[in-house]
Amino acid sequence: MNPNNYLILAAILFTIGVYGVLVRRNAIIVFMSVELMLNAANLAFVAAARNTGTLDGLVIAFFVMVVAAAEVVVGLAIIVTIFRTRRSASIDEASLMKY
Amino acid sequence: MKVSVEYQALAPIIILLASGVLSVLVEAFIPRTLRRPIQLMLVLASIVLAFAYVVINATAELAGDPLVNGGQVKGLRELAASGSIAIDGPGMVIQGIILLISFVAALLLAERQIDPQGDAFASRSSTLPGSEDERQFTAQGWLQTEIWPLYLFCVGGLLLFPVSNDFLTMFVALEVFSLPLYLIASMARRRRLLSQEAALKYFILGAFSSAFFLFGAALIYAATSSVNFSTVAVAMENSSQDGLIIPGIGMIAVGLLFKVGAVPFHQWVPDVYQGSPTPLTAFMSAATKVAAFGALLRVFYVAFGGMRWDWRPMMWVVAVLSMVIGSLLAVTQTDMKRMLAFSSVAHTGFILLGVISTSAAGLSSTLFYLLAYGFTSVGVFAIVGLVRDASGEATHLSQWAGLGKKSPWIATIFALFLLALAGIPLTSGFTGKFAVFTAAIDGGATPLVIVAVVASAVAAFFYARVIVLMFFTEPPVDGPSVVVPSALTTVAIGTSAAFTVLLGIAPQPVLDLVINAGLFIR
Amino acid sequence: MGQGNVYLPIFFLGLLAFGFAVFSVAAASFTGPKRYNRAKVDAYECGIQPAQAQLGGGRFPVKYYITAMLFIIFDIEIVFLYPWAVSFDALGLFGLIEMIIFILTVLVAYAFVWRRGGLEWD
Repeated sequence: MNPNNYLILAAILFTIGVYGVLVRRNAIIVFMSVELMLNAANLAFVAAARNTGTLDGLVIAFFVMVVAAAEVVVGLAIIVTIFRTRRSASIDEASLMKY
Repeated sequence: MKVSVEYQALAPIIILLASGVLSVLVEAFIPRTLRRPIQLMLVLASIVLAFAYVVINATAELAGDPLVNGGQVKGLRELAASGSIAIDGPGMVIQGIILLISFVAALLLAERQIDPQGDAFASRSSTLPGSEDERQFTAQGWLQTEIWPLYLFCVGGLLLFPVSNDFLTMFVALEVFSLPLYLIASMARRRRLLSQEAALKYFILGAFSSAFFLFGAALIYAATSSVNFSTVAVAMENSSQDGLIIPGIGMIAVGLLFKVGAVPFHQWVPDVYQGSPTPLTAFMSAATKVAAFGALLRVFYVAFGGMRWDWRPMMWVVAVLSMVIGSLLAVTQTDMKRMLAFSSVAHTGFILLGVISTSAAGLSSTLFYLLAYGFTSVGVFAIVGLVRDASGEATHLSQWAGLGKKSPWIATIFALFLLALAGIPLTSGFTGKFAVFTAAIDGGATPLVIVAVVASAVAAFFYARVIVLMFFTEPPVDGPSVVVPSALTTVAIGTSAAFTVLLGIAPQPVLDLVINAGLFIR
Repeated sequence: MGQGNVYLPIFFLGLLAFGFAVFSVAAASFTGPKRYNRAKVDAYECGIQPAQAQLGGGRFPVKYYITAMLFIIFDIEIVFLYPWAVSFDALGLFGLIEMIIFILTVLVAYAFVWRRGGLEWD
């Protein structure tokens, strides 16, 4: 199978993630979409590592997983704090500041 | 397999991150009442020590590296940690600027005299805003010391960000300084809902943009089979995979331009600057911007230097949009912090002129501008934190009316900072703008400079409006007053004002320094 | 050494793991006391009490999130041990020392969580 197809798949997953961030309102779902974007990048890295015959992409994938986990923890902490304050995880309701 | 770590070159970063770990231990094992002084000493000492190492590295008499200017140039220039980190002239200048700003900002973060309840941070951020718990902890005078380990990790990440020499290190550094910032942004003592909302927006948009950065890096890696900047630059010269490279450059640019707060990636700037605790806003507006511009410069000079004809048009558009939209929206603001946030967006546009020049002059003028702007920005937000009424900071513009009559000193220094932001001669802002504009004209970006001059004129209008408001209107009856701060804030404001004046009157030593810093190593 | 011998240690490791699993289960059924009660015959012996589903999925206490977050962050650090384990002999003493430093750093985070009561359920 042509490894370039994996790059295309990664691009599609990334686009789905972008779409999710832009249109969904629930902070958790938005957040999951961001994670999908990161994992799409991971897939692209691993596919590219296979394509180019280098190991860098595989190591990067490890780092990205750890960074994504750290991001999950910080993000969940912020979302849970907001949720406890407002009893809602809708990012549209978090809009005290307006232009 | 030979693995080496250049401890001398990496000392500033290691010191900050190691003190961060130590600081976590202090949080875990030292009784609560002793934590604050210990943490504060740890923070200030590690920043001073790291700065000393930057100076030592920058002035080191080397045996003479024949590659660098025939061994004439002083100072360390080496690729550290197997080529992942590049310690070179511009990198060390940026590290120095970040450390200076971090020191001053740490003084602001530690201030606890301007709010009768304590410092600028919630006594316990886990309590619900407005709850009985919150009232109790505040009444008992609890101070949150967890911001200090976060702050140390953040500064460590900021130091690593502009000297990273591959996309992986840069991405990790980006997250290391961003994650603590998201958390500290949510911890304001007053207006906690606003603060938490700012943190949520900052986090979601920040994570969104760093995913773009990462995917861009993946595309570049797919095209060039490396993430190291020097290798990428060489591989791009004779690569035919423009279908991967051009989107890759674009997506990496999105990630970095978000961090510097350029239009159209600026939406988070006003909300986060307004909602965050003001001392943190001072730190973010200065240090984060300096580090992010350092990284932007390195990526676009070293890795994408050979592709400059492809990315310049994009940067032109971003620079014009930042200057015009930043200035125009700043005019319409009624909140002081939001106005300054939009002014910071406009300044991002001005600094981008230096990036676009892609020349030695462009690099050195950008470094100078960053130092000048950084200190002015810290000073301006430090003073914003001083003007208060019973409910906290009074940031509405109308509340600033007649401040010059009530507190002539503070109002004068504030006016000085505003003049520097507007770029009036004899302030640092003028020297910086002049240097950047000259470099841009030499680099063939004359139309951009014309836009920049017009935008500066518009910007001068809203700065002047605040000055007129402070000095030539009657103060409102129940207006806010200027709190007398402790020595910490006084030193911070004094340092910022001194830099603003000195860099305007006698900029030559610093100009020499940034010119002698030379170019990025490859 | 022939080609087949390279996989011999892996085979023995697999055998050992299988043997240990069988031994553990068997030993537990021989030595453990057997006292059945209501909780034992539930679907799970631990976790949330089974209850009528609430409208909209109901709410979990925040404590679950904290535990989950701590689990994620400490769990994922293991990932860095894999590349080290693969090139362990090539990296030598340097790699070992770096890995010890890394684990100590994680330990510091663990100490913080423990001292701040992050591991206490109530």
